[in-house]
Amino acid sequence: MTKRVLLYAAMLGIVVVSLFPFFWMVVTSLKPDADIFTKTPEFLPTSPIFDRYLHLFDGPVPRQFLNSVLVAGATTLITGVIALLAGYALARYKIPLRRYLLIVILSIQMLPQTVLVIPLFVVLRNTDLLGTYQGLILSHLALTVGLATYMLRSFYLDIPVELEESAMVDGASRLKAVRLVVFPLVWPGLAASSIYGFITSWNELMFSATYMQQSERETLPVALQQYFSSYYSDWGGVMAASVIFTIPVVVFFLLVQKRLMQGMVAGAVKG
Amino acid sequence: MTLTAQENRRAGAPQRARPPRRSLRLDRFGLPSLLLAPLLAVVVGVVGYPIVRTIWLSFHEGEYLISGPFNGLDNYTALFADPYFVAALIRTTLFAVVCVCCTLLISLAVALVLDVGSWLTRIVTVIVLLPWAMPRVASGIVWKWIFNDQYGIANWLLVSLGFDQFQGYAWFNSGFSSLVAITIAVVWHSVPFIAISMLAGLRATRGEVLEAARVDGANFMQLLLRIRLPMMKPLLTILGVMSTIFAYQSFDHFLVMTTPPGGPSHSTEVLSLLTWLQAFTVLDQGAAAAMAVVTFVLLAGITAVYVRLSKEDK
Repeated sequence: MTKRVLLYAAMLGIVVVSLFPFFWMVVTSLKPDADIFTKTPEFLPTSPIFDRYLHLFDGPVPRQFLNSVLVAGATTLITGVIALLAGYALARYKIPLRRYLLIVILSIQMLPQTVLVIPLFVVLRNTDLLGTYQGLILSHLALTVGLATYMLRSFYLDIPVELEESAMVDGASRLKAVRLVVFPLVWPGLAASSIYGFITSWNELMFSATYMQQSERETLPVALQQYFSSYYSDWGGVMAASVIFTIPVVVFFLLVQKRLMQGMVAGAVKG
Repeated sequence: MTLTAQENRRAGAPQRARPPRRSLRLDRFGLPSLLLAPLLAVVVGVVGYPIVRTIWLSFHEGEYLISGPFNGLDNYTALFADPYFVAALIRTTLFAVVCVCCTLLISLAVALVLDVGSWLTRIVTVIVLLPWAMPRVASGIVWKWIFNDQYGIANWLLVSLGFDQFQGYAWFNSGFSSLVAITIAVVWHSVPFIAISMLAGLRATRGEVLEAARVDGANFMQLLLRIRLPMMKPLLTILGVMSTIFAYQSFDHFLVMTTPPGGPSHSTEVLSLLTWLQAFTVLDQGAAAAMAVVTFVLLAGITAVYVRLSKEDK
């Protein structure tokens, strides 16, 4: 009995620590300034205000949100397609050097971003892609395709080869077998791998801050970081913008959390 | 009779409607290469080439982000003569050591709690992973607010617990206390993934050996230290490598939480931030590329040491 109580107490502690920053961000964004700047914190907004959110809609935030949606959306889509194709090849074919290729794509996510940021800047400048959506998307692909492919491969491996084989025995071509038999089974894995790409791209700061310096194409992390460094004391406004920035990733994460956990853990456990 | 996949394939082959020869060859060689082509294009173009290019740049002059003439090891000797760089190197290493220790220990504790089955485990697991998804810029801002000197909830909590010296304590006025606050924010961010991976590892250790030891009367700590953790060694090695690398790479939290970035007076400069500032504020890409190469070599070395250590003990 005491053991159960201790367990629930530990769980409660974990939940509180995990969620508090989310909670505090939302609460702060809803409190009037007078309630934000108090010696003793007010844990619940007694008179919540939504002005800050309405105010955000008049500023550049909708545009920046759209920029972020565009970049992260395209990165997600391209990552998904690349991982869908390559993951299948790596799961089903005996490819020369497959082992090494797998190690390479897994270690990409371990690479210091600073190794990539300078030459990519030079490349983007030389190809006139600096400050364009395409350039930033290209740089984000470097961060997403490796693990996404690895994750999708592990989902393919969970599907018995026999399913495809029997479809092919029945006369279907490989492509048809994949389309009719494999794809319906692998799409939750595809969703998880792609959303991994979305979260990575949406949250990324270093490339975005370096390559997107024109204000009309600024993405949310860059804008938020710059706003925060210049309007240091507007805590309520910054929190409201942070909430807007956080909502999409949390929603996507909750949609695919089960597969996403499975896939990410597979990368660590089997790698 | 059960057939393995291989035998099945062989057995099934004669009945298969035979496709023409050419498409068979396409299936065997052409199709896989075609499927891999986009991945390889990205890996070579956006990852492989930049790495080579960074190494090349580190041996050349590169002021104002324009490649100059070959200058041998000049960038490197200049780096190690630069007190700010050496300080940042040491600071990053200490920061990483503290981050990794805290991350691994807290993750293990969280994983052990989640390992005990309960009807709440599933939902708590999801909540534990949630901080991983939060944008680092947003979490940096929230943590900076939590550690605000006058109105921050951290100081309020510390004062209510009786630590009166934290009344109005300005965390971001000195390098050390800034680093403490940043460490907490970074650990909060990196625990989720490591904890969930450890949970998967712990679950994989359940089985006959563990049951046998339990029947023999081994207690919780004995089971953990003598059986479960040794069984998880390969996983723990990888998680150690991952959290070390993530700690060395921390950038967003430093850019958001310190003003000016790396301040006050260079006291929170870490490798990634310094490299980025060197490249895009000082505009010296030669020196910045050399810093990136040093980071890269250091992380590769650390990874090799971890792998060696985990193999030696076997």
